Parts: sequence; structure tokens; C-alpha cells
Amino acid sequence: MKHTEYVYLTPMPVRIWHWLNAFGIVTLTITGINIRFPDVLNIFGTYKSAIVLHNTAGIVVSISYTLWLLYYMFVAGTLAKLYIPTMNDIKTGIIRQAFFYFFQYFKGGPNPHHGTPDNKFNPMQKAAYLVIMLVLLPLVIISGIILMYVAPLREIIMVIGGIKTLVSIHFLIACCFTAFLFVHIYLATLGHTPLAYFKPMWDGWEKVEHAHGDPHGDAHGSSHDKAPDNDHAVKSAASIGAA
Amino acid sequence: MKKIHAWSTLPIVLMLALLAIGPVSAAETGNDRCLSCHANKDIIKRGGELLYVDPAMYAVTSHSAIGCNTCHDSVRSTHPDDGLKSSRASCKDCHSTIQSEYAASIHGGKATCNDCHNPHEVKPLIAVSGSDINAKCAKCHNLGKIVKSHDKWLPQADLHIDALPCVTCHTSSQNYVITMSIQKRQSGNTQFGEFKPATHQELAAFNPVNGDVSRLIDKNGDRLISLKELRDFNYEVRKKDMRLWGMMMPEVATHSFQILENRWDCSFCHASGPKAMQKSYMAFPDNSGGYTRMEVESGAILDILYGTPDFYMMGSTRSTALNIVGALIIAGGLMMPIGHGTMRFLTRKNRKEH
Repeated sequence: MKHTEYVYLTPMPVRIWHWLNAFGIVTLTITGINIRFPDVLNIFGTYKSAIVLHNTAGIVVSISYTLWLLYYMFVAGTLAKLYIPTMNDIKTGIIRQAFFYFFQYFKGGPNPHHGTPDNKFNPMQKAAYLVIMLVLLPLVIISGIILMYVAPLREIIMVIGGIKTLVSIHFLIACCFTAFLFVHIYLATLGHTPLAYFKPMWDGWEKVEHAHGDPHGDAHGSSHDKAPDNDHAVKSAASIGAA
Repeated sequence: MKKIHAWSTLPIVLMLALLAIGPVSAAETGNDRCLSCHANKDIIKRGGELLYVDPAMYAVTSHSAIGCNTCHDSVRSTHPDDGLKSSRASCKDCHSTIQSEYAASIHGGKATCNDCHNPHEVKPLIAVSGSDINAKCAKCHNLGKIVKSHDKWLPQADLHIDALPCVTCHTSSQNYVITMSIQKRQSGNTQFGEFKPATHQELAAFNPVNGDVSRLIDKNGDRLISLKELRDFNYEVRKKDMRLWGMMMPEVATHSFQILENRWDCSFCHASGPKAMQKSYMAFPDNSGGYTRMEVESGAILDILYGTPDFYMMGSTRSTALNIVGALIIAGGLMMPIGHGTMRFLTRKNRKEH
């Protein structure tokens, strides 16, 4: 026999941060396509509207990122612990996790990663988010800010190698984010139901099913019957918001 | 049928007569005699700056071909001892169509022809740089105020005004070409930015082949700048505090100064697409203060790294090669939902069994 419990998994500030970022990045992607291909696509009426919206969304995401970085660096102090893979992660963890995603998962095998609040990301997530949050996002923000003030920042642009190099960097990173968006949304459907990870990121509450008489045991043990990676999945849902 | 008056054919007859005689040299028109005094800077002390004529600049004007006496026809052999002020032709005597177009424009009542054009230095559009045109405009229009007024609606107004001659948007030429020029860093000048168009003398100091400054880029002297020559020049030029600067020049000059409605729409320039950006030119300064234009290999404007590193027009000068790389990255991301998703669907029974 099972009973269902709801756990408040994703606090409101994290959810606001996540959806603000999500909305910002989707806006940046669509306006970005419009800005690069105006002769092919005109979604926002005028080219200027696309630019203004792109710049506004860029500023919102930049501020949001700065707050996130400051919070993790100086308030929570867990940036290095959460985002930098350990030697074990690099040596075996990433390969083991990839083996699970691309082989074991299809056979119905268990997820090798069991998240805890101190180690909520699996080794692949750590590596991916390290690159995304601490390399690509800062680079796309900095290149975007410079592109908003080309004339005053001309000297910096010349050091970088010219405006074309800067635009190319900005564009290719934006493509990486678009690619990540597809991967990110897809991975979020790997819960015990396709929408299981979306719900806690919207209202904060995660539905957890317990086996009768084992409320404190493996919180997702019963779900494992249906989805063997559920424990990882719940932690991943938290991590999706936190990243 | 409209009757043709004999006098109306006079200019044509005169033109045919001139053609029959052949090109008129400066010496034949008596210019040398005038320039013996007027090309000497001492004349400025005697009668003011207007009396001085720069011989190198004047020599390449179309006005020098018709000769000083054509416009100053009252000047006699007794000049200047006769004390008579020389006559001056009016611009509209020859340029009546331009005069009417200009008079009807919003600029017509604000400035005379001479306020912008010195008849002794006047050049055709292709021999003038965008910076030179803007410098003329800046004689009356304060640059700071212009940037501020455009800033109200135009994103990055300072950048636009750096890269466009005012006439590109404020006259009615429908087609534009990208013209590049060499700029050199000028220390201590902040009004127009630190880079200014390099002069002929500055470029000649690099000892180009045969003293021809175009050979600094056009190494093989075939009068066409290849992408390789452009890349090589860009690579070398950084060490010499110079850069290539592109401006969007109108293809024809009109004098219909106006505020064009379609220029409020950014897509007028930015949505022209890469096909419209294939052709470009390089303008080399000559020793008369003008420029000589040389064609650049097709597509140089779109080259990602070294073609024109400092010229980029959002939406129009995008690189197809980079688009392909970007599309491959996005396709890589799509492989996860498509590839993994398909496998997930096919193996769904395995997870139910567990």
C-alpha cells in the first residue's frame, strides 16, 4: 500500500529566479534570431522592438545572474562544492553517469547518483553547469554588454580582435544555450511522469509516494518501481531550479 | 510640336566644340597665370583666405578643366592692378538642376553651396570620404548635439554617426556601398574618436611600391584587393596603430536634404541581407586630399575574422559559415530529445518491468 506526501522542495526565491531566467533566455533566443535574420523573420513588428527587447532581457538576465553568483559565493558559500567536479567525478563519475543515461536507463537500471543537499548535482550536471554558469553565461553577458556600447568600448573590442570576433563569440555561445535549452527541457521530463519535475519548479511542491510504513525510508522507493532514477530525479528538480 | 529656339542649343554646340578641341589642360586655360599668385600663401595676408587656391586640390577638380576665366570672366590682363573686383559665376549657372533640388530641400534656406563646397577643391562623391562629409556637416551641426538628438530614437546613435555620412540617411540615394578606408590613431584628439583617416603622407611613410599607397594592401598591383591581401594587411596593421574602417556611402549624391520616413525603420539597412553586402571598396587617400576607390573581392564584408574586423552591420553582414556552425551546435542539442527520446520510447517496457 502506498501513501502520497507533498514535500516543499523548491523555495519561492529559487522558483522566481528560475522562471525569470527561463523567460529571459527564451526571449533572448527568439529576439536574437530576429536580430540576426531580419530579412527572414520579423516577429516583433519592427527591428528596433526586437533590439530593445533583446537588450532589456539581457539586462534582466545579467542582474539575475549577478545576484545568483553573489548569493552562492558569499551567502551560501557552496559554489565550489556544488559546481566543481571532484577528482572522483572526473575519473569515474562522469563516465558512470553517461553510461547510465545512454545505456542503463534504457535497460531500466538504477541511477548511480543519489543527491543530497550538499551534493545535489550528478557528475555530468556538475560539469555541464560549471561550463554553463561559470564560463558560457559570463562570456555571453560580457560580450552582450560590450555589444550594447560599441562606440565607447571600441578600444576593448580592438583588443578582443574586432567587432566580428565579439559578435561571433556572442552568437556561438547563444547557440550553445539554445542547444542546452532542448537538453534541459528534455531531461526534465525524465521523472516518474513527464511533468513530475516541472510541477515543483512551478508551485514548489513535489509529490512523493511512500511505501506503507516507511515514511522516512527511501522517500521515492515506491516510485523506483516505475522510474528507477526517481531519487536522482527529485534532486535534479531541485538542481534545475538552483542552477 | 514644341519649337526649339536656336539659343537653347548653344550649350550643346559649345560642348561639342570643346570636345572637338580635346581635353583642356590647365596651362591652355590660363590657370597657371592665375595660380602664379593665387597658389602662393602670401596672398592670404593681402586679401584673405578666399583668395588662396591649393594647386594640388584644384588640379583634380572639374572646375580646373574649364579654367579660372570661365567663372571669373571679368578678370583682364590688367588684374589686379586695375583694382576691379573679379566677377564670380553663380553655381546655378551650370548646376541649375542641383540648385533647384537643393532649394526645395529643408537645407535650402540654411546654407549656400559654398558653405559646403569649395569650388576650388570640389570632388565627386567617390573621391570623398564619409568622415570628410561629416566634417562639413559638423561645421554647423554640433556633433554632441547630433548624437543626443538621434539617441532619442536610434540605438547606439554614436556608433551610427561614426559609421555613416549624414547624407546616407538624409538624402534620397536608394543604393549604398560599403567603402573602407585606413584610419590611424591620433593621440590627443577626442572630438571624433581616437582614429582619423590616414593621410596620403602618413601612408606614403610606409614606403609602398612605386610610392603608390594602394600597394600597401594591393600587394600584387592588380587593382583588385583580394581577401588574402585584406587579411594580410589587417594582420600587419594592428602593430602600426591603424585599422580599416568601413562606412556606408550612398551610391549617388543628391541634394534633396530631407528626413526620410523609411529611415526610421531600422530594417531599411539592417534587413537588406548578406546578398546586398557582397560588394565593397577600399578608398586610398591621394595627395590632393581626395580618395581613389579600388574594388575589393566580393564577400569580403562577410568574412568572419580578418576581412573587415571592425565593420559589422547587424542582420546584414552575418557570416553563413558561422550560421552553419551555430546550426550544428543546436542540432547537437536536439539530438538529446530526438535520439534519447526515441530510445526511451522504444525501451519503455524495460522501465515498467523494473
